[in-house]
Amino acid sequence: MNLKINGKEQKIDSSEIAVKELLVLNKVEMIDMVSVQLNGTFVRKEDFETRMVKENDVVEYLYFMGGGRYSD
Amino acid sequence: MDFTTKILHTAYSKSDVHGALRMPVYDAAAFEFPDAESLEAAFLGRNPGHVYSRLTNPTVEYLEKMIKEVTGALGVVSFSSGMAAISNAFLALVQPGDNIVTTKHLFGNTYSLFHKSLKSFGIEFRFADLTDLTSVKGAIDEHTRAIFLETITNPMLEVADVSALSEITRENKILLIADTTLTPLYLFDSKKHHVDIEIISSTKYISGGGTSTGGIIVDYGTYDWSYSAKLSNDAEKFGPFAFIARLRKEIHRNFGACLSPHNAYLQTLGLETFALRAEKSCANSLEIAEWLERQPKVEKVNYPGLKSSAYYKLSQKQFGKLAGAIITLDLASKEECFLFLNNLKIIRRATNLNDNKTLALHPASTIFCEYTPEELVPLGVSEKTIRLAIGIESARDLIDDINQALNKTDK
Repeated sequence: MNLKINGKEQKIDSSEIAVKELLVLNKVEMIDMVSVQLNGTFVRKEDFETRMVKENDVVEYLYFMGGGRYSD
Repeated sequence: MDFTTKILHTAYSKSDVHGALRMPVYDAAAFEFPDAESLEAAFLGRNPGHVYSRLTNPTVEYLEKMIKEVTGALGVVSFSSGMAAISNAFLALVQPGDNIVTTKHLFGNTYSLFHKSLKSFGIEFRFADLTDLTSVKGAIDEHTRAIFLETITNPMLEVADVSALSEITRENKILLIADTTLTPLYLFDSKKHHVDIEIISSTKYISGGGTSTGGIIVDYGTYDWSYSAKLSNDAEKFGPFAFIARLRKEIHRNFGACLSPHNAYLQTLGLETFALRAEKSCANSLEIAEWLERQPKVEKVNYPGLKSSAYYKLSQKQFGKLAGAIITLDLASKEECFLFLNNLKIIRRATNLNDNKTLALHPASTIFCEYTPEELVPLGVSEKTIRLAIGIESARDLIDDINQALNKTDK
């Protein structure tokens, strides 16, 4: 399926994927501290494993903390 | 895990390249990125990289992380001073037409911020008696956004029942904001008492002995921001991060009251010994307050840890034996107060709290100097009052100093 993740088109080999799986797939650091929006709406952390991302969905994940460059 | 153990062993966000056991001071204004895409992603908050030290900085972030570690908060944002933390909090939380319920018995500059500076932005501060729940309930209306309190007021040393106030805020779906500067972190568990937003002047206990100025906002993630008139749209996008997002993406960034990396470094050191210093200064305070009560020249002694205090039971419930390190005492007149201050030999004449040194001040002529004697009456500030901010010296030495200065107050 085709998704737009943080402003970039991305193809995923699946018809749907849980938010948490998507974050892991994209190697998102510090998942506990990231704020995720699915099609402009906030996704609660406790829903990360059950909320499914589907064809043409728009996903944004943002950090609001002072971070550190986690990936070299 | 114990407070100090957590502080000492707070992990860095990223391993230090040299294995430094202490977070280095990143005295750098800007940080470079390998390519334009990474820089764009960092600017948009899509990767957690530092861009510019007015926004975030590794040393400052480490201080915030330490506080997050010991509070279990959702988010922590630091500022250049305690007053910057208070003003930025309200600039993020309220808009013209909103009101906040608080008390007149506040730190002088906080009171001035409320009834002068923020008033000019169309924000109303309603001054109730926070120790009287009926008075508080009566001040709340549909435009009330929060109750703001100091856990121990400065310099009146009033103690409000934080849990009881939290029942009112939860019932009215408004925020409970506590300035815990006199009883921060180790002395008072804000989360347990249902405080939504904690504000601390880190200049005091956290700085490690009057080393630097700073302010901290702690968001416990307990408030449902969909009830916030100003932040309900942010709640839809950012959920519990609505307030932190507004601070990071607008208020903290645009007003620019950032904590310097060097001050953050000093405050990470201060946190390491905070518990030790708090134990000593609070124990000193109780011993000195009990001694002062026995002195005929002292008309009144105020310390929440004294059994004679009207707030003793509440203080025990909220702070245990750590009832802060501020004492006030009343002498016969302003002139006697000045004579006392001028004759102190160890205790320093200075404003500040929770320095390692004991400091003495005449509040009416200093932190409340912008108010007339008539205006001081409703604020509860007397010209006969001296504030002692007790440090970590020997209590015996401090008592000897107070005693000799008291003996020289006869004209």
